[in-house]
Amino acid sequence: MKIIILGAGQVGISVAENLVNEASDITVIDTDALQLEEIRHRLDLRTVQGNGAYPEILKQAGADDADMILAVTNSDEVNIAACQVANTLFHTPTKIARIRASEYLDHPELFIHGAIPIDVIISPEQILTDYIQRLIEYPSALQVLDFAGGLVRLVAVKAYYGGPLVGHELKALREHLPNIDTRVAAIYRRDRPIVPTGDTVIEADDEVFFIAARKHIRAVMSELRKLDKPVKRVILAGGGNIGRRLAKTLEKQKYSVKLIDHNRKRAQQVAEELEKTIVLHGDAADEDLLTREGIDHTDIFCALTNDDEANILSALLAKKLGARKVLSLINRAIYVDLIQSGGDIDIAISPQQATIGSLLAHVRRGDVVAVHSLRRGAAEAIEAIAHGDENSSRVVGRMVQDVPLPEGTTIGAIVRKNNVIIAHRDTKIEADDHVILFLVDKRKIAEVERLFQVSYSFL
Amino acid sequence: MQLQELISPERIEFSMPVTSKKRLLEQLSTLMHADEPGLDEYAAFQSLLDRERLGSTGIGHGVALPHGRLKGLDKAIGAFATLEKEVDYDSIDHEPIKMVFALLVPEQATEDHLQLLARIANVLNDDATRAKILGANNKEEIYQYLTNREAG
Repeated sequence: MKIIILGAGQVGISVAENLVNEASDITVIDTDALQLEEIRHRLDLRTVQGNGAYPEILKQAGADDADMILAVTNSDEVNIAACQVANTLFHTPTKIARIRASEYLDHPELFIHGAIPIDVIISPEQILTDYIQRLIEYPSALQVLDFAGGLVRLVAVKAYYGGPLVGHELKALREHLPNIDTRVAAIYRRDRPIVPTGDTVIEADDEVFFIAARKHIRAVMSELRKLDKPVKRVILAGGGNIGRRLAKTLEKQKYSVKLIDHNRKRAQQVAEELEKTIVLHGDAADEDLLTREGIDHTDIFCALTNDDEANILSALLAKKLGARKVLSLINRAIYVDLIQSGGDIDIAISPQQATIGSLLAHVRRGDVVAVHSLRRGAAEAIEAIAHGDENSSRVVGRMVQDVPLPEGTTIGAIVRKNNVIIAHRDTKIEADDHVILFLVDKRKIAEVERLFQVSYSFL
Repeated sequence: MQLQELISPERIEFSMPVTSKKRLLEQLSTLMHADEPGLDEYAAFQSLLDRERLGSTGIGHGVALPHGRLKGLDKAIGAFATLEKEVDYDSIDHEPIKMVFALLVPEQATEDHLQLLARIANVLNDDATRAKILGANNKEEIYQYLTNREAG
């Protein structure tokens, strides 16, 4: 696939890094020559310097042949103009743009019927906000990911002593929860994946990924550990794009929210914008401030600034001062690894990892509607639509056990006309089913893609 | 329906100069539009693209059969091209393609259309026919090879 990426910022680079490994042909456009040189040294791709909305620059970048343009510069206007130019002059098949300003997003009619010809609008801030919000909803989970518009969720949870299933074979789950269906897609034990069978015995400290209908998540989770009390009090550090959005969402629900920002002006702005949230001006790593604001009664503390070091420090401090759970955004991959193995910060979120899936979904061959990158990019969960019939498809008309899946790949669930069907060996896949798969090894993705592609005879 | 009715020398291009799958599908749409001005070029391109997304129509041996349904079309229309240079097409055998037969059918595609597709595949699966087409010097010769094989 030939892809043009506009903007060598954080989003652009992390996409480029991911796609270069997947044998895509990538050209990055940016105005900053130094930045481009740095990428060129590190990654096998082409770069073009200039304004990516200009026809000549796009042409130089290979727009005549490109299958996709990904406009992720910091300027909404450049992104919009670039998609318009690509559409009109180059008929670029897929146009994806990052749009941040709610001034545009509040008018979805701008983007329908090709008025502004963008096929997919991505908002990394919104994706992250949703991601964190789901973790606040399920404080016992390490990860909660949506499929089929939220009908099905993939949840990662750490098994603890005291969970009724811990020490038992997976098949005991049926007896424990006779009215609930779920599928354990993978288990990570001491960081190594196990593809589970009915005989697999769950051990304490296992990281278990299970798939279930949304309404069953809590019940399944309670089999693996004692559930945390629901979250009530939340403290957010950082009033930037994410902190602000998250506060706005949370304050409308049952949560009591405090937001700390060290920038006085921004704290004031945020305070005006938010209704119930208590906005504080100060340093989130200030012991006195945290104590005064009742950190020891706080259910979850989220460090959401742009500064990794500040996030890590404030989260560690909050934990030490008694916050029940702490979560931190961490941009640098190496820090995420450090923190994950350390254990004092309950959840470290890499913004790149959390958002890359929304882009990968459009790069995957076949009709893939959702992708979530997991385990620092080593694993992947995808939702693919099965098309065709017994003749043109390798999955339609077959039972799950007869689908030639690559090793380490599990079909977890199927969504058929908005009904969630947990996959069992004898579940038959029908045309138009949304199939949710878990791959412990992302390198097998090409095989899975092939599986879901229809043969030439599909008309 | 016979292949003669599906294709005409006007909708055949000899040694098409394209460098990508995207350009190829675009050019094929243009080729069909030039001979059938009523056909919406961009919609045709979009239809071919949408179908490719579900799975490549590269059938191996350097051949691709892109196809799609098109609103407002009242009969099936084909176009054919040999390529100046091989193009990567994500084919079933991972080989780049050298020739391409595009087919657009009415939105309400029928069993007949499926048969048509199978027939085209059948013709181009034949080693001797492919060799002749690749050895041709112009589109008239290609037209002969494509349609003769059918008649015989």
